[in-house]
Amino acid sequence: MKKQLLICLVLLLSGCVDKEILDEINIEVGVGYDLAEDSKDKYRGTVLFQEFQPDKSVINRTFSGSGKLRQDLLLDVTRQSSEPVVTGGLKVAVFGPEISREGIYDLIDSFQRDASIGARVFVVTSEDKAEDVMKGEYGTRGNSTYIYNLIQHNIDHRDIPKTNLHIVSRDYYETGKDTFLPRIKKIADDKVEIIGVSLFDKDKEVEILPLKDLFFFKLLVDKYSQGNFDVKLEKGNLAAVKSIKSKHKIKIIDNHASININIEGIIREYTGRKLTSEVVNDVEKKLEKKVERECLKLLKQFQELGIDPVGLGQIKKTQHRKFDYKKWEDEYKTLEFDVKCNVDVEETGIIE
Amino acid sequence: MKEQPIPERLQISPFLVFYMVMSIQIGIGVLGYQRIIAMDAGYDAWISILFAGGCIHVIVWLIYKICETAGGDIVTAHKYVAGNFIGKALSAIFIAYFILFSLTVLRTFIEVIQVWMFPEISTFWFSFAFMALCVYIIFGGFRTVVGIAFFGLVLPAYLLLTFGWAIKFSNFYNLLPIWDHSIKELLTASYHMSLAFIGFESIIFFYPFIKEPKKSQKWAHFAVLTTTIIYTILAIITFAYFSEDQLSKQIWPSLTMWKIVEMPFVERFEYIGIANWNLIILPNVCISVWIASRLIKRVFNIRQKAGVFFVVAAVLSIINFLDTRKEINTLNDYVGKMGFIFNFIYIPLLFAAVMMTKKLKKGKKK
Repeated sequence: MKKQLLICLVLLLSGCVDKEILDEINIEVGVGYDLAEDSKDKYRGTVLFQEFQPDKSVINRTFSGSGKLRQDLLLDVTRQSSEPVVTGGLKVAVFGPEISREGIYDLIDSFQRDASIGARVFVVTSEDKAEDVMKGEYGTRGNSTYIYNLIQHNIDHRDIPKTNLHIVSRDYYETGKDTFLPRIKKIADDKVEIIGVSLFDKDKEVEILPLKDLFFFKLLVDKYSQGNFDVKLEKGNLAAVKSIKSKHKIKIIDNHASININIEGIIREYTGRKLTSEVVNDVEKKLEKKVERECLKLLKQFQELGIDPVGLGQIKKTQHRKFDYKKWEDEYKTLEFDVKCNVDVEETGIIE
Repeated sequence: MKEQPIPERLQISPFLVFYMVMSIQIGIGVLGYQRIIAMDAGYDAWISILFAGGCIHVIVWLIYKICETAGGDIVTAHKYVAGNFIGKALSAIFIAYFILFSLTVLRTFIEVIQVWMFPEISTFWFSFAFMALCVYIIFGGFRTVVGIAFFGLVLPAYLLLTFGWAIKFSNFYNLLPIWDHSIKELLTASYHMSLAFIGFESIIFFYPFIKEPKKSQKWAHFAVLTTTIIYTILAIITFAYFSEDQLSKQIWPSLTMWKIVEMPFVERFEYIGIANWNLIILPNVCISVWIASRLIKRVFNIRQKAGVFFVVAAVLSIINFLDTRKEINTLNDYVGKMGFIFNFIYIPLLFAAVMMTKKLKKGKKK
């Protein structure tokens, strides 16, 4: 009796849902969005698939479609693809220049709504059309893996603050904080590079921070675990401070934000003659000065643009009960800053 | 007329109450309670969880007092207070409650499967297979149900660790400032914890099946404490992970948090997590169907197996009529409310009635 029941169940349960065999589907690994030229449609999307060859190499295959919704694009792409399209493997989403100025919220929302899309997707903006970025041939492991790794190691070791789809949407929904996205540019058919960070007001891009500001930007919005920075000294000497660890503390009292930045690092390269303790002190002082000056400049710039990527509003909210966001919006325009930086050079390498 | 005691070979050890209580408490409520309580009390809502947990300890204590005084389960207590006929009529209400409870759990879980994994899965056939498994377990007797409760709690326990991935992307300053909400808001949030917490009242139904029931009380309290702590920690991680407006849009925050999990051998962890959640849901449905069928047996004096078939048939026929998110949400709300009324209003009333009857009966004897 029990056995019969079991057999019955096996028969009933198999074939309840569609099978998806890995070799017989197209997994969307990257996607680029542009504004459509045809005014009837809204978006033009380029979907990137990977095709694994028997000799372990990867072929990048792109399909483009246009439509008013993300689903329309997928439908358009499905019409061209020989296999069903699934979105579970998405790693990178690139937004073209016009679309990021127009607003990206609809697409972010659609990513969030899709149960099969992960939270670690990197969302980036691009200098030229997202379609062109998708259509390159970067590296040997496929375009999306290339761009993904490019951004990942720049977050881990360099000047890009921590970001992914989850953080982008969290900042978007946070009152008192604005979103930022890394910005990339295709420089050759087989190369892309990071050229800065796009700053957003709500979901519209308003400003692009160039590379030279990124170090200070990351000091303000994130913490470093392995940064590096070159300090110019007198007589044209240079010292490279490496393995930078940083932390920031922000306190807002009576419309005055005091920002404390703590930096620890070691000197790896020095072009002068002798690295005496005076020189080390000099490096510390110079770096402190520089950080204070540049961070203040950035904060002032954000204030003028009316954006708050540092999340000062959110910080004020956590420090004050009965926080009134409406009032804050006015207060932010007249908010005063002071930035204090403290640099500790802990080691100077294995020689003195 | 004295009731027949349950033979010892059918009873369970006191410590197993821990698994029974916890496994029926943790079910579908835990998938989305963070959002509901955050709507009332914002990010102070974790205080409400602790408060609700505290209140439940009192109710558990009351349940044990009722059962001890009446010398049996809720049917005995009703008979003790209101006599045979009215007592049975009162007990019959709870058949409906537990049918609804199992229905809610099952339908909500199927909705999760449909939204997150297989949109085309058939509600009826999945419930049919699930219910067939439940019938099979329940026919094994109460001890088998307890066994399933044990495994349904211990095997998926590792899922708790998977929420650790979210910590790396969390900002615990979100929780500040503490006490930014009024007492009233905090209490409303506590009230809305009902759906996540209910289930512990099952003790009042399987009390006669516990060997040395007095010893089991500490395990029941321990179970409630553990659930409270798990809920609080999970809520704190969730609050740190999401921003407040973002959380208010997540229907199942606990599942959304799995989207950040990254393992070398699995791209989307949700699929593993939700498949594992089946094991957490199984004891929920089994215990509630068992209680409903047990009540049918006690009230109408028919065989429990017939009762099981009746309950299963009822669930399988009603489940087809619930299709949309709105309907399922309403069902969840209702069951939460019913659970609240039963636990926090009816049980104290019953307690008072039992105590008064006890005094009256003592007086008569003299």
